[in-house]
Amino acid sequence: MPPRAPLDVQDAPPGPADPEDATRAQLFHRAIVAGGAIVGAAATWGLPQLTSAASKEQDARVLNLVLALEYTEAAFYQEALDKGGLQGDLREYAKIVLEHEKAHLAFLKKALGSAAEPAPRHEFGEKTKDAEAFTAAALTLEDLAVATYNGQAVNLTPASLKAAARIVSVEGRHAAWIRSIVGDVPATEPTDPSLKEHETRSRLSDFGWKAG
Amino acid sequence: MDFLLHDLDTDGALREAGENAGISRATFLGGTVAGAVAAFAIVPTAQAASSGDVAVLNFALVLEYLQSSFYTEAERSKALRGKAEDAAKRVGAVERAHVTAFKGLLGRKAVKRPAFNFRGTTEAQRSFLKTAVAFEDLAVAAYKGQAPRLRSKQVLAAAVSIHSVEARHAAWMRFLFGVQPAVNAFDEAASKAEIERVVGATHFVVARPRTTTSRRPRFTG
Repeated sequence: MPPRAPLDVQDAPPGPADPEDATRAQLFHRAIVAGGAIVGAAATWGLPQLTSAASKEQDARVLNLVLALEYTEAAFYQEALDKGGLQGDLREYAKIVLEHEKAHLAFLKKALGSAAEPAPRHEFGEKTKDAEAFTAAALTLEDLAVATYNGQAVNLTPASLKAAARIVSVEGRHAAWIRSIVGDVPATEPTDPSLKEHETRSRLSDFGWKAG
Repeated sequence: MDFLLHDLDTDGALREAGENAGISRATFLGGTVAGAVAAFAIVPTAQAASSGDVAVLNFALVLEYLQSSFYTEAERSKALRGKAEDAAKRVGAVERAHVTAFKGLLGRKAVKRPAFNFRGTTEAQRSFLKTAVAFEDLAVAAYKGQAPRLRSKQVLAAAVSIHSVEARHAAWMRFLFGVQPAVNAFDEAASKAEIERVVGATHFVVARPRTTTSRRPRFTG
């Protein structure tokens, strides 16, 4: 095997649509359903809606979407910690995850520069009032984060995809971590679902995101 | 990077596991190396427009073979207890589903399952968990490294939907092993060469099944 150059996203431009792709994707989908004893895969694994070709403009739109998400995550963990209803492992989880979300936020703000949307407000209601409400909300939010990044992967230029990939797996780790703490099964499906932009926006609003 | 990748070599749990299984360090280190390199060096012959994607998918398939065989063997060893036993069962089913999916996607272009020898790591709770952490962190880094190389949007969508599941598994196994499930704010990618080097160093991929324990071998390859 000839030696490979180190991975460079610049050498992997988005390729032309392959007419065989749809068939392969269907095969893949069928194999997932048949291969695992997993019922939910059919419902959760859908082909993303492809939008226009990846571009810097589209990157900015996607990055603003995940910026809204990261603002919401950081604000949620901050409020939960400020309210003081968390103890032990959950408190430790919230402290560490808050730092991660703040780092994601800082990264995205820097990447977007002047194109970044203004900071939102949040109204989390009862979600941060005690450990039980916090746990249910936190795992919903982390799953939303994973599905959002996964749904947008196909819309990004390779350089932005590379950056987003460094974040999404950390969100997946958070989602499994909090489930582990409370004794839920951390991962049940062979694939994670993906969301479209308007689905993410709608769920963020339901969660307590408000335009700034 | 905070994977236990650095421990997934002959100086960590694996050597310990090998020694516990009654093989000398010399034998362990000098074991069949060729198989590992061969298994990861398969370049698909497909000359189609998406041959790059085929190569990436086959690379992913080998990692899924590695994981699915590991969990299947661990489950069959009946050496695991409690939450680790449950995790091996559940994660094993998912990794087997990934294998089936990639094979379906690749059709005749799919590489064959290599033979594996997990050197006793499937037969003790701690070494199982430590190896599982390393495998899952490795898979996360591998998918992350390969995703930007994919040309087909549909294949990319499939790959990212698996990538985040591997991250969930990594956090799960880390929790069970007793290490922090998410250490850094950003997970780093690993190149194909890095992954090949790490997997090669384990000597888990063998030319043909070998017996390393006094019990009957449980090869799934």
